[in-house]
Amino acid sequence: MPVSAGYVAREATTNLWRNRLMTVAAVLTVAVSLALVGSALLLKQGATNATSQWQNGVNVRVWVDPNASPAQFTAIGTQLGQNPLVKSCIPRSQAYDYNEAKRTVAADEFNATTQADYPSSYACVLTNPSDATAVVQQFTGKPGIFGIPSSPTAQIRTMQSVIHILQWVFLSVAVVLLLSASVLILNTIRMAIFARRREVSVMKLVGATNWFIRLPFMVEGLVQGLLGSAVAVLVVLSLYWGIGLNTTKTVTNQSSLIAQMSMGAWEVAATCILVAFVGIVVGVAGSALAVRRFLDV
Amino acid sequence: MITFQNVTKTYKGSTVALRDCSIEIDKGEFVFLVGPSGSGKTTFIRLLLREEMPTSGRIWEAGKEIGHLSKWRVPYLRRNIGCVFQDFRLLPNRTVFENVAFALEVIGRPKHVIASQVPQVLDLVGLTKKSGNLPGELSGGEQQRVAVARAFVNRPLILLADEPTGNLDPTTSLGIMRLLDRINRTGTTVVVATHDAGMVDQMRRRVVELDHGTKVRDQARGVYGLDSAVAAAGAGSPTGTMVEAAPAPVSAARAGGGVPTSRMARTRNGNGNGNRNGNRNRNRNVGS
Repeated sequence: MPVSAGYVAREATTNLWRNRLMTVAAVLTVAVSLALVGSALLLKQGATNATSQWQNGVNVRVWVDPNASPAQFTAIGTQLGQNPLVKSCIPRSQAYDYNEAKRTVAADEFNATTQADYPSSYACVLTNPSDATAVVQQFTGKPGIFGIPSSPTAQIRTMQSVIHILQWVFLSVAVVLLLSASVLILNTIRMAIFARRREVSVMKLVGATNWFIRLPFMVEGLVQGLLGSAVAVLVVLSLYWGIGLNTTKTVTNQSSLIAQMSMGAWEVAATCILVAFVGIVVGVAGSALAVRRFLDV
Repeated sequence: MITFQNVTKTYKGSTVALRDCSIEIDKGEFVFLVGPSGSGKTTFIRLLLREEMPTSGRIWEAGKEIGHLSKWRVPYLRRNIGCVFQDFRLLPNRTVFENVAFALEVIGRPKHVIASQVPQVLDLVGLTKKSGNLPGELSGGEQQRVAVARAFVNRPLILLADEPTGNLDPTTSLGIMRLLDRINRTGTTVVVATHDAGMVDQMRRRVVELDHGTKVRDQARGVYGLDSAVAAAGAGSPTGTMVEAAPAPVSAARAGGGVPTSRMARTRNGNGNGNRNGNRNRNRNVGS
């Protein structure tokens, strides 16, 4: 038997309005917990973006002059390999650097360049990351070397550890809050079921199907979850714009941490979709539990 | 229409509510289920509504063995059964019309069906003028009429009544019984659980007596109990035909009164018997 959408919407709205204080409490709890989840995800994404150039413990990049001969390229590799401060060195082609730039450089800057503009390079892991300055000094000015940026090791490390801790704090608080949000939603639905027990008993008596009876209550939970995640999405978006995570990374602002962490619109969109999804899951789970437990159909 | 075959129902704590009970009720019958409190009448009704399952034995109802019915089919079974209770079970915040319409609404009947069926059944129970009132504004008898209307609006095959007159004075009770009788004459099987002796004695219909869960009597055109039987014999059964002789003030479904026979035909045909002609006859009987 088809359950009319209008009927379900009407019943769910009536229930929500009748129980509006509980509804507000449930929605706010969902919103706060999901805002934390969203922020944690945003931070994690930012940290990943900021360190993408320096993955796998790479501390120093030695960029070889694009005009250097293959022999010079090999010679530089040998010198780096023999240096006691350097643990290992991986040679990277122009194509690799070009592709990396695609990820790390702003689109308009990137589009103005071609692969030929990128030098090939060596990505070096040092035995001790604090020796980066020494390595840079030893190799700067040597023939065939274009430039040696070193990773802002200390800065990145601090940022990484702070973000790591924040992420776990946010996520664990969020999990506790999400649990309490589910319980709040469950309780709201329980009260709605209790308020409508006469209707429900008559509905059972005259042969309404189980889903016909359940659906308005389930939708009520779903709406609470959705409202909560809508608020959380607003928080995530204002965080995104508020601290300038939408900044386009350019050569001039590359040293800024926020610019390093900046991300594209689709990454934020993915975070928002995830937040909305978790909200729906929490709402449906809470109401499903209430319906199972308290609606004896 | 209803068959109990060696049905035993034991509740937790080994209370036996029905013991090895076998009863056969045919289509169109009017049966009183009598006995003192705790004799198993309500259990009988609850088994028919499949609110309970028999501990042993089998029950057939409207052509189906309800013990084998999967859970999701139960609502569809209940659409063939109307039920009336002692406490009316109306929704206090809905008008008479809305209370009756609710029964059709929640089984997904379209609006136009509701708009035509509800006034008709309200006419049948004589409450057309009160259709906009809330149940709280009605007398007990009127409220029970609303409950009957709600139970009958979907034209069930079976109408169950659990102490329908338990809260009503004798005159009002008589009105309700007349109404149930009129519904019975449309072809609906009616089962009334009651300990209203006067009513049973007046109606002189089939009486099934239960005592501590055991069927102790099954009598056509019976009376409530032994005392009543003696009294009835002594008085020459003066009120035996009272109901049939009573004037019918309600003119619900006169021939050509727009009774939606198609809907009823669907219900009947869905159960494998009945046809349009049969339904038309049934309708003409209502309120005649």
